Amino acid sequence: MSTIYGTSTSAFYERSLMDLTALRKQAEETQAEMSTGQRLQRSSDDPVAASRLRRLARAETIDKIDGAAADRATSDLTLTDGALTQFSTFVTRLQELSTQAATGTLSDAQRAGIGQEVAQIRANLVALANTRDGSGRALFGGEASGDAYSINGAGVTQYEGTATAGTVSLGDGQTVARGITGPEFLDFTSGGTPRNLLGVVKDLADALQTGTGGAAAASAALSVLGDGLASITTAQTVVGSRLNWIDLNTERRITLSELRTEEQTKVGGNDLTESIARLQNTMLVLEASQASFSKLANLSLFDQLR
Amino acid sequence: MASDLLSIGRSGALAARIGLDVTAQNIANASTEGYVRRSAQMAEVASTGGAYRIGDLSLSGVRLDSITRNADAFRQAEVRRTGSDVARGTAEAAGLSNIESAIEQSGVYDAIVSFESSLQQLTQDPVDTSLRASVIEKARTMVGTFQIAAQEMDAAGEGLQFLASDGVTQVNRIAAELARTNTRLSRAADATSDKTSLLDQRDKLLQQLSQFGNIGTTFAVDGTVAVKLGGTTGRDLVVGDTATTVGMTTAANGTVSFDVGGNSVTLAGGSLAGQQLALDKLAQLKLDVDGLAEDIVSTFNGAQLTGDDLDGNPGAAIFSGTTAATMNLAVSDVRKLATAPLNDPVGSRNAGNLTAIRSALGALNPADGMDQILFDVSGTLAGRNVTLGALRTIADTAQVALSAQSGVDLDAEAVNLVRYQQAFQASGKVMQVASDIFDTLLGIG
Repeated sequence: MSTIYGTSTSAFYERSLMDLTALRKQAEETQAEMSTGQRLQRSSDDPVAASRLRRLARAETIDKIDGAAADRATSDLTLTDGALTQFSTFVTRLQELSTQAATGTLSDAQRAGIGQEVAQIRANLVALANTRDGSGRALFGGEASGDAYSINGAGVTQYEGTATAGTVSLGDGQTVARGITGPEFLDFTSGGTPRNLLGVVKDLADALQTGTGGAAAASAALSVLGDGLASITTAQTVVGSRLNWIDLNTERRITLSELRTEEQTKVGGNDLTESIARLQNTMLVLEASQASFSKLANLSLFDQLR
Repeated sequence: MASDLLSIGRSGALAARIGLDVTAQNIANASTEGYVRRSAQMAEVASTGGAYRIGDLSLSGVRLDSITRNADAFRQAEVRRTGSDVARGTAEAAGLSNIESAIEQSGVYDAIVSFESSLQQLTQDPVDTSLRASVIEKARTMVGTFQIAAQEMDAAGEGLQFLASDGVTQVNRIAAELARTNTRLSRAADATSDKTSLLDQRDKLLQQLSQFGNIGTTFAVDGTVAVKLGGTTGRDLVVGDTATTVGMTTAANGTVSFDVGGNSVTLAGGSLAGQQLALDKLAQLKLDVDGLAEDIVSTFNGAQLTGDDLDGNPGAAIFSGTTAATMNLAVSDVRKLATAPLNDPVGSRNAGNLTAIRSALGALNPADGMDQILFDVSGTLAGRNVTLGALRTIADTAQVALSAQSGVDLDAEAVNLVRYQQAFQASGKVMQVASDIFDTLLGIG
């Protein structure tokens, strides 16, 4: 404030009022910063920082969705992994049964008994292929909303789903396939011919139950079942690597989120120590101004003239 | 030599009384707004002798020459000019701050981000009705916030228009009063108390007028003032005893323009100019927000068309309306979101069209558009606040400089009080001496 000499009384009061009001306003602003913990009370306090904060908040919101998507994909893939393990258990059991049935010493009736168990296992396999995921959709049906496999009048299974499984966004353009479709692991090639596991098992069960040529069919099925098991194991490896990919992305997301939070505090947060020091400083000046004002205001020539 | 000691003493006592009165008046008005310190100018009453009696001196005491107003025309003009600028800045900043609140507090930005994220969430399972419901509800919220923003902006605009129209009324009132003051000033005799108070009133009215618009003034010798609205090159507002009526016209987009007696005038200062500027900015921002709303409606609806909804029907328009105020949700059935590509089986989980919708929205990037609108208004306001701070400092300095020069200094008045009291006592003594001399003369003989 510029000093004006030979001032009028009202000018003195006006100037003192201006100075005191400015100090008071400054103290109140610092106080508001401290009590809210935010440096910005409204966008116009610092438009650039406010815009940056808005973008960070938006990224945070999108990131939460990505996190939920990753969780969902993880749960779907874990379910897939569990189902595949069960598949391989069943196939191993089928291999045991085939080995038994291939033995020439068994009677046709005994083979028919084994054939019944094989048929039972096949029913289990079909049910397993129609497993539902966390949200009630077919786990191996790709993007279809109904069952993945249906059985027609002749007892032959048919794939009803789509060719590929849907993908889930993990943020920043990264995606992961949410699962694998039935044909991706149930259809495989054995001895140069394309086979389907459910079809192979049905044929085996039928051959064992009819009685004739059961042993030959069983020994032929052994190698096919081995290829089927390999196909399932391959699928499990794929699922495992996808789960790894999700973990990797989750780590990246968390790191980015930490960086964002750090920037948010830096841009929009309020340094308490600095604010307190500034408030102290302002209060000190304010008190001094008030004291000097009351002293100066008391200086009147009228008091001296008696 | 024809002097009369008694009448000289009497005139001295009278002059001292006037001095005391003026001092008392100054003290009484020490904190009156617009009061300019008076001082009494005294003049000697004396005459030289006539022809052949040049050596003669006729002393007749003292008389009041004039009451001076210690007003500095330049400083007053500075106070008016800077005050005008501050009034403009304050009005504009207040208007912009309301507009900023209208857009920011309505939460449009957050609603757009929620809508976007709900669409992204839907990609996880496009046929999940609860996720679809979330999209529809987020869309409803977004539409609602756009409507709120439109209403709030309209309300802010109406408030500004009301203030501007009130300002015009005030300008007309002050102009009429100035014209009346001019009439009385042209009739009042010089150096009377009446004239000085009229001049005070004139200056006070000019200062009030400068709060509403920038003015140019021309002062005549008799103290009357001619006022132009819009600066020295503006339109005649007050000439002599006539005041021209100021009018305001509101355009369809809410902006206002002013005229003096039907001739348009451009204001560069005063609250009217500030309100005009804020309304111009508001009109631009309204266009921006309306444009954003319209873009969201057309982009989303357009992308809906290229897909099938949950029941296998081609996608229908989800939004309706072309402005922020008229934007609405056309359908609220969650099954109507066309997430699957055209001709996919009923109930398909294929998110082909959802991806298309999201990439169309991503290309439009409504959150970014809203961010830019917010940045526009808050950046403008922040800039104005900085300017306003500078203008205020300048205006405060001008005001203090004026009141330092024209205001009352109580200490100085205390000194005057003592001085005139002593002068009065001395004049009394003179009269007593005259009486003593007379008695002495009578006692001779």
